[in-house]
Amino acid sequence: MPDKLPLRRAYLYRLLALLMAMAMIAAACGGDDSDGGEDAGGEDDGGAQESEDLDEGEPQPGGELVYGLEAETNGGFCLMEAQLAISGIQVVRTIYDTLTAPNEDGEIEPNLAESVEPNDDFTEWTITLREGITFHDGSPLDGEIVADNLNAYRGQYKNAAGENIRSPALFIFVFQDIADVQATGPLEVTVTTKRPWVSFDWFLFGSHRVGIMGRSQLDAPQSDCANKLNGTGPFKLERWVVNQQFVAAKNENYWQTDEAGNQLPYLDRVIYRPIAEDAQMMNALESGQINALHTSSTEQMGERLRPLADSGDIELNESDAFGEVNYIMLNVSKPPFDNKNARIAVAAALDKELLIEVRGAGVGEPADGPFAEGVLGHVEDTGFPQYDVEAAREAAAAYEQETGQPLTFTYSFVTGEADTLTAQEYQTQWGEAGISVDIAPTGDQATHINRALAGDFQAIAWRLHPGDDPDTQYNWWYEGSPVNFGRIADPEINRLLDEGRTNPEGREEVYQELNRRFGSEVYNIWTSRTIWAVANAPEVNGLFDWTLPSGSGDNPGLGAGHQVTAAWIGE
Amino acid sequence: MRAVAQRIGQLVVVLFLVTLFTALLLSMLPGDIGETIIPFGSDEQREAVRDDLGVNDPIWTQYGRWVGNFVTGDFGKFYRQGNVTEVSDRIQSTFPVSLQLMVYAQLLALVIAIPLGVYTAHRAGSVADKATNTTAYALLAVPNFVLALVLAYVVGVELGWLPPQGYVRPTENLGEHIRSMILPSISLAVGQIAVYMRLLRTDLVATLQQDFILMAKSKGISERRVLWRHALRPSSLTLLTVAGLNVGTLIGGALIIEIIFSLDGMGRLVFDAISERQVVAIQSLVAIIAIAYVLVNFLVDLLYAAVDPRIRHGRG
Repeated sequence: MPDKLPLRRAYLYRLLALLMAMAMIAAACGGDDSDGGEDAGGEDDGGAQESEDLDEGEPQPGGELVYGLEAETNGGFCLMEAQLAISGIQVVRTIYDTLTAPNEDGEIEPNLAESVEPNDDFTEWTITLREGITFHDGSPLDGEIVADNLNAYRGQYKNAAGENIRSPALFIFVFQDIADVQATGPLEVTVTTKRPWVSFDWFLFGSHRVGIMGRSQLDAPQSDCANKLNGTGPFKLERWVVNQQFVAAKNENYWQTDEAGNQLPYLDRVIYRPIAEDAQMMNALESGQINALHTSSTEQMGERLRPLADSGDIELNESDAFGEVNYIMLNVSKPPFDNKNARIAVAAALDKELLIEVRGAGVGEPADGPFAEGVLGHVEDTGFPQYDVEAAREAAAAYEQETGQPLTFTYSFVTGEADTLTAQEYQTQWGEAGISVDIAPTGDQATHINRALAGDFQAIAWRLHPGDDPDTQYNWWYEGSPVNFGRIADPEINRLLDEGRTNPEGREEVYQELNRRFGSEVYNIWTSRTIWAVANAPEVNGLFDWTLPSGSGDNPGLGAGHQVTAAWIGE
Repeated sequence: MRAVAQRIGQLVVVLFLVTLFTALLLSMLPGDIGETIIPFGSDEQREAVRDDLGVNDPIWTQYGRWVGNFVTGDFGKFYRQGNVTEVSDRIQSTFPVSLQLMVYAQLLALVIAIPLGVYTAHRAGSVADKATNTTAYALLAVPNFVLALVLAYVVGVELGWLPPQGYVRPTENLGEHIRSMILPSISLAVGQIAVYMRLLRTDLVATLQQDFILMAKSKGISERRVLWRHALRPSSLTLLTVAGLNVGTLIGGALIIEIIFSLDGMGRLVFDAISERQVVAIQSLVAIIAIAYVLVNFLVDLLYAAVDPRIRHGRG
């Protein structure tokens, strides 16, 4: 019998430790984002999807909607001064109403206002309010408070003591074409503009940022204005514990009823919970901690939400309708992107389909322009450079010939795992076209915006331009505007923006021309449509059943949140 | 009394050095605070914020002003467009959360690590000792945020035993508070268990070689009593030191765990302040964490004397 060499115990234990370490490394490296797109159930065409509507039965009063948001709104809700991202807008929708709101067809309609009518040349707008509406503190909605709100948005409001106590920032630019706002009747406000303003009624919606505050909030010192909320909305603030929950209780005197004449809202309470970690938001829904959430994470949509929706565990509503666009904003005021060939090269080098597959779990649609389908100005072919590595190389070579410099630049993005991986994918694709790119995280969201504001970038990750009327994008693109971060100085774009604002005729053609101008000049590298998803537990019904006072359905876009007014909790 | 006075003196020196260093570091941060706080504001609005924060003054003036305010209880403000909040208000709501997390994580780590450390020291060289050490190394290698996410999914979602995230105040519902803190505490404690166990084991093995242990055994004292009554206490000093250092780290440094489990603690507060270039708030938060650090380590020093009689009576 041959001798067997006994294995020493120490060797065994070292081997065991090594095997455990290898197992953990394998687990950490295993799987990639593209798996999510293949494993997700249902149709996998990449676009927004909607699961089977599980709503059934008649609305039942009572119950709580516990809604997960992606972030807290630390700056509070003093509407003229607040910097609201979508999480903040969702909360604001619960507490405040806007004078107008878009319907299911993307048309603007009166909401809090009974009518909003222009004169013949769109230089005067008459806003007529509905009777009998009160704020949460019982004070009436009337012409005076609405006029004061609008003047506050313009930075022109003085309180009873003559103090200019509100300090709006962005809104001053947005409303700079308003000449005067006056209360011209108990329930009437007249707005006079400096020049014809065809789509001024859209600006009374402002992606639901232009809510109407009651006097107690409008006149409050800054901290109280941010924290002691007083609106006309379906719910009123009960308590707010920052970074924990925002609890809104039913407004018993809300001015809207449903079709059967029942008082809205049905819910007793809406509780918003900020959950910063995407995976944990999904966990919270799956475990029943929350019964609704919103997200723009295509990874989570593909890997978590769609499978749950396919198995009937949740309802899922995805939408890119009237939505924002993801893009790479170029600083066209300095090299290299003051050169058109550089812009064309960078655009043509990107394979957007591959990007969506690799970085978006297969969820998403490529974008060639700022205006989503259904939005005024949308065109199928904007002339934007399509993926063509050879064409990219030629354009890069042309740039080098013109300038004597190889095409190289820095791409900036918000610090974070997902954005870093996307940046690396961009870098790889640009590299294949011979374009050398450094990728540089900017830090947090605030620093990122700061960088854009200062023009301290060459190419920077951006997402904007929700599907309101295209005129609402005026300040982002007009030469000299403080928020024209890309420093676009194009007389043709200026002309088209002015034309679209002031001339009621041929607006669709004007904005289509604008879209094509962006396509030909490549001031921005459009990548994909932003898809937002709202997922809810089966017992949550009516989440999208709110109708405007006219009876029209709510706008299907989710980029500016959605109303929860008609939501109810079933069995 | 003399010890207390010494500690107070030490606290003052530490605070001065830490906060001065922080002030110098902050002065070198890129970005303009006016543009960070009000990116869409006018130049006048941004200048007003800069004036209000005093960032246009020389660094020494800023530091002196901050010291004067801090010692009188004015910790400064969080400036955000449309909202200004007192730092003290935010500390009031976040410090208890971080303190609870730290205490629970430390207690959990010690409750598990001490018996394991005693056992493995007693059984040094055995299969159980090696297996425990290997497991300890494996746990140490797992980042706490990985563990946190795994626990949240497995325990919170698949098994449904505990909430995967969220915080409930103990005054609201003590039972739910405890349930909400179990997973974050475990996530932080696991790495500590490995460290504490190893430290204690090493010191215990050395202590068990000493003559007084042999004397105790020869007097017929049981093994259990020898281990827990005679050997453990003098072997605990390193463990106490490291545990004390960890306390300070955890109070302001559990940011990732706080974000994963949606805990509104000091870690997140400090991170937000840094992200938003809230220089005055950062100074105050750093000072408070430094105070907590020094106080905890003072307590640890007191514990030394309680644990080791040789220190209490002067080293003999």
